Amino acid sequence: MQAGTSTTHEAHDAHDHIHPPPEGFVRKYVFSLDHKVIGFQYFFTGLLIMFIAGSFAELVRLQLTDPNGAIMSHTAYNEMFSMHGTAMVWLVLIPLVTGALGNFVMPLQIGARDVAFPWLNMASFWILPVAALILFSSMLWGGPHAGWTEYPPISLADGTAGALWCLAIFTIGISSTMTGLNFMVTIMKMRAPGMTWTRMPLFIWATFATALMNMVATVALSVAVGALFLEHVFSVPFFDPARGGSVVLYQHMFWFYSHPAVYIFIIPAFGVVSEVLPTFARKPIFGYKMIAFSSMAISILAFTVWMHHMFPSGIAPWLQLPFMILTYAIGIPTGIKIFSWMATIWGGRIHFTSSMLYALGFLITFTFGGLSGIFLASVPVDLHMHGTVFVVGHFHYVVAGGAVMGFLAAVPYWYPKATGRMLNERLAQLGFWLFFIGLNGTFLPMHWLGLEGMPRRTATYAGFAKAFPDAVFWNQFETAFSFLMAAAIGLLAFNVIWSLRHGTLAGINPWGARTLEWTISSPPPYYNFKKIPQVFDRPYNFDQPLPYRNTDNELDEFPEFGRVLMPIPQPVGAGA
Amino acid sequence: MAAAAAQHLSGHDAIAARYRDVDPVYGETRDIRLLGFVFFLLSDCILFSSFIFAYVYLRISAPAWPPFLGGHQLPWFDTSFAAMNSIVLFGSGVTMHFALENWKHLNKAKFNGWLIATIVLGIGFLLGQAHEYSVVGISWTGTTMGASFFTLTGMHGFHVFAGVCYLTILGLQANRGTYTGSKYFGLTAGTLYWHFVDVIWVFLFFLFYIW
Repeated sequence: MQAGTSTTHEAHDAHDHIHPPPEGFVRKYVFSLDHKVIGFQYFFTGLLIMFIAGSFAELVRLQLTDPNGAIMSHTAYNEMFSMHGTAMVWLVLIPLVTGALGNFVMPLQIGARDVAFPWLNMASFWILPVAALILFSSMLWGGPHAGWTEYPPISLADGTAGALWCLAIFTIGISSTMTGLNFMVTIMKMRAPGMTWTRMPLFIWATFATALMNMVATVALSVAVGALFLEHVFSVPFFDPARGGSVVLYQHMFWFYSHPAVYIFIIPAFGVVSEVLPTFARKPIFGYKMIAFSSMAISILAFTVWMHHMFPSGIAPWLQLPFMILTYAIGIPTGIKIFSWMATIWGGRIHFTSSMLYALGFLITFTFGGLSGIFLASVPVDLHMHGTVFVVGHFHYVVAGGAVMGFLAAVPYWYPKATGRMLNERLAQLGFWLFFIGLNGTFLPMHWLGLEGMPRRTATYAGFAKAFPDAVFWNQFETAFSFLMAAAIGLLAFNVIWSLRHGTLAGINPWGARTLEWTISSPPPYYNFKKIPQVFDRPYNFDQPLPYRNTDNELDEFPEFGRVLMPIPQPVGAGA
Repeated sequence: MAAAAAQHLSGHDAIAARYRDVDPVYGETRDIRLLGFVFFLLSDCILFSSFIFAYVYLRISAPAWPPFLGGHQLPWFDTSFAAMNSIVLFGSGVTMHFALENWKHLNKAKFNGWLIATIVLGIGFLLGQAHEYSVVGISWTGTTMGASFFTLTGMHGFHVFAGVCYLTILGLQANRGTYTGSKYFGLTAGTLYWHFVDVIWVFLFFLFYIW
């Protein structure tokens, strides 16, 4: 072989020596370098923190059942909603959608044996529990009180708790940045031979766009909270107006990250939906390139809209107009995706598995949340509604109805690949209906309450309830429905653990899906791919043979879709 | 075979041949690590740009610059000393370039000389900065000028300090045989890092001493 002309393919051949799996409990399950194990670690840590942060949310809801505050003091209420937001955003959503899904699925889908820097990946994960401990330990000093954004000057009154909050977010920011860097390099350099950019599965495009934002934006967040930390601890006057600082500066720095952050949660969910819909509609994805490019467009536009969070903060009117227009503009790539997905399922042969139900539910709730976002993008409307629960309703429709829904669609979809067993389908479907009904019941009334002017982030609303007597009923209604969502998440956790032992055996490819991870055994072996496969086409053409060669399993060994779950004879076009 | 071919070449052709004909596993991981390192520098770049944004924002929105403290306007920074110190830092970039070039030409003695020169110049820059801090006459916590100046140059100084440690480790590794004429990614990364620290200083020098 002539050295020096090594193509990607030959380089992979050179890489074909397979490392033996590690031995011993600690190397295997605790400080593991294996991306699949790290994915599980993210999954279970995220789920555990979701329970804690979710119970904070339930306490918030219980407090609002009475306009004078039902269960706790104003200070405790401020602490609860601040901790709920902080923990959910940084310790639950980002670890779940990028850490858990990205780690487990991404290397399998590109035909790689691991991520580019496994050691860095392990370090990224282990920073997460440390950050969680720092954040929750801040509650010993009274916790943060200024919401998940911790705007100065209010947050500067938090003292030690505020400093610990900054430290926790700074730490988790470093972890996110490292994950983003790692995933960028993995996707750019380690794809299977033949997998060109336009042959990548759409989940990979989504992970790439997310990783880009993680790498670029998270550092800006680290700087914002780092500067706040310096102000807390050393009294450095970045944000102190008395010494020439500016509180609006913090908002700029914070939102320059945190607007992309909402796309960091949502774009992996877009990726999941782009995998689930074609698989269970048995149709090629509609507009592959448009979906892929719109992910990238969103990740770039996301850096140009941050000031729409700051319309009431006194930024110059000449700045408000361009940011309003740019915010409308970011609706365009999102709309392209929604229409492409609708065209994908149109005329398809839809199998209502729990994944598909979540993905369809995502289309409804996410679109709804997107539309209320268009309301808020308009400066005059935003000035009216910024301080009301309308914003809370909008945000939770996109986050719970978008990111979490997408994540919940991913769990039953990849669970068989991860564990070798199916998730209990009945429980998963019950979970979907609980979650979907609970979500709409909790957050839909917030829209009209917000339009009437119900303030957000207040422990009592007696004055508002006097002006709008129905408010009490609707708040109690929301609280009742919020427990359905909690039940759905509890059911999911039970199901995940129960099915580990009692689920039906899944086989290699229970859904008849076509991306690369479904060509290897379930659960995948330590080295993922014994032979690195060759890719010839993108994975969504359901009426054609699989576009891979050199796979570990012969292609005709693939079971037809539904062999395990439901008696559907033939996928569209296969053989008929 | 490839190594034999490389023996007939000289100068840059030989370097290119050694770089290309390295064993494929190393070649592949080198490309991956290089990309990862460039992305690390990119994210580091955003670290500095965010603080620079804060500085520019605070400076533009301030009613007077340098700001007033206790009724007196603060002094401007002393450009001439900082300019000399900058020359020390940029000079260390030049010596680092020669160090890596000599390594590529398999000239270990010269590599060591240039690397030591780089480290000495880096330490010289840090000493200069320490002097600058002692005479600058503003405090970290008094005004936004001090806050931005000490935070940004302090962060940069920390990067220089980390770079000095990094280059020292690289020098020890190189003399212990960690790197060869064809496998020297660590030295490339160290050089990139050092040039990056230089480039950041160009911006900081302009923003604090020229603007």
